Amino acid sequence: MSIKFKDVHKSFGSKKVLKGITMQVQKGEILFVIGTSGVGKSVTIKHIIGLLKPTSGSIEVDGEKVENLKEKQFIPIRKKVAMVFQGSSLFDSLSVLANVALPLEKHKIVPANKVHAKAMDLLTEVGMKKYASVFPAEIGDGMKKRVAIARALAMQPDYILFDEPTTGLDPVSARRVDKLILRLAKDRGTGTIVVSHDLPSIFGISDKIAMVYQGKIYFEGSREEYKRSEDPIIQQFIKGTSSGPMETPGF
Amino acid sequence: MIKQISTNIFATIGDKTINIFVAAKTLFLVTLNTFRGVFHFKSREKGEILKQAYEIGNRSFLFVSVTLSALGMVLVFQVCLQINKITGDQSQVGPEFIKGMIHAFVPILTAMMLATRVGAGIAAEIGSMKVTEQIDALRMSGVDPIDYLIVPRFIASIFMTFILGIYAALLVILAGAFMAHHSFGVNYNVFFVFDKVTWGDLIIGSTKLLVHGSAIPVVSGYCGLTTKVGSEGVGTATTRAVINSSLAVIILDFIISAIGLMTIQ
Repeated sequence: MSIKFKDVHKSFGSKKVLKGITMQVQKGEILFVIGTSGVGKSVTIKHIIGLLKPTSGSIEVDGEKVENLKEKQFIPIRKKVAMVFQGSSLFDSLSVLANVALPLEKHKIVPANKVHAKAMDLLTEVGMKKYASVFPAEIGDGMKKRVAIARALAMQPDYILFDEPTTGLDPVSARRVDKLILRLAKDRGTGTIVVSHDLPSIFGISDKIAMVYQGKIYFEGSREEYKRSEDPIIQQFIKGTSSGPMETPGF
Repeated sequence: MIKQISTNIFATIGDKTINIFVAAKTLFLVTLNTFRGVFHFKSREKGEILKQAYEIGNRSFLFVSVTLSALGMVLVFQVCLQINKITGDQSQVGPEFIKGMIHAFVPILTAMMLATRVGAGIAAEIGSMKVTEQIDALRMSGVDPIDYLIVPRFIASIFMTFILGIYAALLVILAGAFMAHHSFGVNYNVFFVFDKVTWGDLIIGSTKLLVHGSAIPVVSGYCGLTTKVGSEGVGTATTRAVINSSLAVIILDFIISAIGLMTIQ
């Protein structure tokens, strides 16, 4: 039971973003896909759920190849693999409760008469029950993130993808989101891929780290191995220094 | 050097051609899926069509009223003014004006106004959802963005364009009659003569309203769904929606008029 990338390439026009990504995450494991901004981390995970199609290479979800699936064939994959988007991407026109209820209703996860109760349970799980009737514009970024997590959980997924879940949050909210991700992964046994460049998150909750650099996986291993690495590029990323061998897009 | 320049020219032409074909294919698919989506009753949110009908119809009411009544008065004033210089016989102004409005002017003008107001709104809303990844979130939630976003607007737009078109026709005729009576002394009984309006005029006028009403949300929705990143992308999509919807209305109007002339009239 795993998600596997095998030599995945992706180009946008003449711009080659991914140049051979190979990595995997097991169920119950938290994999952090890290790297500098613009390196292709979000692009990588969007291939799993068909939001992007690879130029070449293959992606397997529990042994099923997904790179050539059509939009409708992705529906069962999207029930199995949920995603929490970078900006939370809550639907502005729907209340917090309706946001969580929508996938429950559309994916027919629970009977129609139990959608409301199930959505409330999920909001309770992320500590957002009392905000059920408000609209996304009325709550803060950290709260939006928690609602987005509840919406992702609505699908009862085997895997959850988090696209920079702590970016833009204050340190306290960020650590609370980390704690929530860790609890969900361990309690529910979901496979988790977190795209991030937030070092406290990376070193706080990851089981495994895959570092994307120049379109490829530059490093894959445990956080202890990552910390111990003497590779100058890895050290520069950890220390966050501007001078060093690491090339960053746009600089 | 020459080889390099010619290669670049061919690459640019090829690139543009591919882009045009991709855009045409995408627009075709959006249109096809919108028509299919009309029959996906279960995927529609309750009350969404009414909400969109309110957005499209009620909020365009004043805009259409002011513009078309002003246009009706100006047109009749100018026609009467010119006729006064030649024969002075104003008896045919009303019947010809009514026929022309029903057959040609009201459908295209109403649709063009809706293309600017409604088309821009649809593209801006869907475009914003695209750049904030809400469209992707919809797909992740098992919702087809075309069924959810474009189809309710499509149904509401057809209905409301038709209703607004009828209202606009009545208003423009009344405004024209008012101007003819008060500025040139044309009797209302002489102006309100509907003998020249044939069933063909009514069928062509109605067909135009229905077709234009269906084209605006499809073209604008397509522009919204193909928005490029950032707020600049939303701005560009909105502009594209207004231009392309207006262009679609003009082309469709021409086609319906031509078919109408060849068959009905």
